[in-house]
Amino acid sequence: MTKNLPRFSTGIPGLDAILGGGLIEGASYILQGHPGAGKTIVSNQIAFASVTRGRKVLYVTLLAETHERLFQALGTLDFFDYDQLGTNVTYVSVFQTLRDEGLSAVVRLIREEISRQEATLLVFDGLLNARDRADSDLDVKTFVAEVQSQAAFAGCTVLFLTSTRVTEDSPEYTMVDGVLELHDELIGVRSVRRIQVKKSRGSGSLGGYHQFEITSKGVTVFPRLELALAEPSIPDQERTGSIRSGTAGFDRLLGGGVPEGSVTLVFGPSGTGKTSFGLAFLSEATPEEPGLHFGFYETRNRLLSKARALDIDLERGLSSGALDIIWNPMTENLLDKLAYRLLDEVRSRGIRRLLIDGLGGFERAAIHPPRLVEFFASLTNELRAIGVTTLATWELRDIVGPTVRAPISEISSLLDNLVMLRNVQNGPGYWRTVSVLKVRDRAFDPVVQELCFDAGGPAVRPIPPNLSSAPGETTGPSGI
Amino acid sequence: MPLIVIAEDEFLIADVLAMMLEDAGYTVMAAPHGRAALALVREKRPDLVITDFMMPLMTGLELARALRSDASLSAIPIILVSGAQGSIGRAHPDMFDAVLDKPYHQDTLLKTVERLLRAA
Repeated sequence: MTKNLPRFSTGIPGLDAILGGGLIEGASYILQGHPGAGKTIVSNQIAFASVTRGRKVLYVTLLAETHERLFQALGTLDFFDYDQLGTNVTYVSVFQTLRDEGLSAVVRLIREEISRQEATLLVFDGLLNARDRADSDLDVKTFVAEVQSQAAFAGCTVLFLTSTRVTEDSPEYTMVDGVLELHDELIGVRSVRRIQVKKSRGSGSLGGYHQFEITSKGVTVFPRLELALAEPSIPDQERTGSIRSGTAGFDRLLGGGVPEGSVTLVFGPSGTGKTSFGLAFLSEATPEEPGLHFGFYETRNRLLSKARALDIDLERGLSSGALDIIWNPMTENLLDKLAYRLLDEVRSRGIRRLLIDGLGGFERAAIHPPRLVEFFASLTNELRAIGVTTLATWELRDIVGPTVRAPISEISSLLDNLVMLRNVQNGPGYWRTVSVLKVRDRAFDPVVQELCFDAGGPAVRPIPPNLSSAPGETTGPSGI
Repeated sequence: MPLIVIAEDEFLIADVLAMMLEDAGYTVMAAPHGRAALALVREKRPDLVITDFMMPLMTGLELARALRSDASLSAIPIILVSGAQGSIGRAHPDMFDAVLDKPYHQDTLLKTVERLLRAA
């Protein structure tokens, strides 16, 4: 029989999830990382979040840095509350006690302070210093064991902060219930902050690296989506309805509209009309069926002028609140943060029509591209389960090339429907064509048609006979 | 030479404070927390006490209360030097003769010490 250990929230977004549900009451953890990795912010954020839940925190340091300087730095963060100092969060230095009386005196002092303060969270900053002071590994092991057993006896959870790398054969490592490691590394030219739960006793933590960021709000952890949403948050439902694509004549090719709750990939080279096709889809948004443009390339104003030029009515949806546009500049993004932002917006606004323009924005944010397949699988599974009908664009790299390639083979199979847009050469000019390659579980018309942008918005129509009869005239992007 | 007892858990602050006061001609003894400071005061009967607020085992306020409740020690002037708890100190004017917020200027501290010693 499994028993759930009582836990409490760290108060850090995303951290509870990777710990398997928060910190265990009365357990002890090592929080390690190089200077600047974020240990102090993580521990203080947990401390101040604990205080808002009625806990008392004892913060014991062995550092040379003065507490005043620490408070100045923490004062720039939203969670820090000066008024709690000395009452609910108490910072004490035991450096002199360690120097003059040794480790065992520090243990005695901590024991007394925990009960004096009625602390249920102890942060001990400077395990490295304790180690330097110890004559042997045994002393540190004894020290850690004593502090944690004193704390556990009082029902107090302990965070030991250390800048040294506590390896798996370190005595401390074997003693504590959990080890959290913070990393701040350079990957290429970019700095990447990641957190890893290296040891977690008695709980299902989410393994591997998870990116985090530090802003004025403090730390936010973004658990890797494919682990956090290994299963969709709600069960998938059978959906049989369809919604309008917004492009005249196209619903027929799809076998009666875009299947509700499906994910459709619209792919093609630059300039084939992917975004325009997507905007037409969004123009069908209504207050009952709200739409969202989640894009990377064009700003709201650019999208609006594009829509106006193509006679696609976005204004109606935008003014009624049925439609909104979120632009994520394609600068340095965090892959999972993007996904959580998307899912939060979709859930909180009850979005039914979603355009992701395009998946390349996620791809560019990936520090470890091989995980993209699993990432997109969890993202699209969740979108389906929520019941949102999604159009996602993917730009093919080769504007002119020998073959048409599916963007990523596994990704194509993760998507329900595939729509291909192409530039087809006909004599001296190009035609935009559209064809449906796949609609999940439904008959569709695989015919190639022209995609036109005339007055009245986008429409498909049959290809003139001279074009379809001259496949030899077509260049790469058109050739199947 | 007037004797000053410092109660301060942070060794850097204690060291700087001790040097500053010694340079000004005072004799200084430091304790790493309130409880050690109380023992030191009882033993040495100093002319003045400078205390931090947040310290292990006994806070600056608890130290001041202990001194004020002891008739033989209650006349010793006490200066509270604190970052965040200056307001707590000011709320107890009977406990502290002066409250200085960290970071304080050296001159301010020395003038306060001088004034309180003269008054005593």
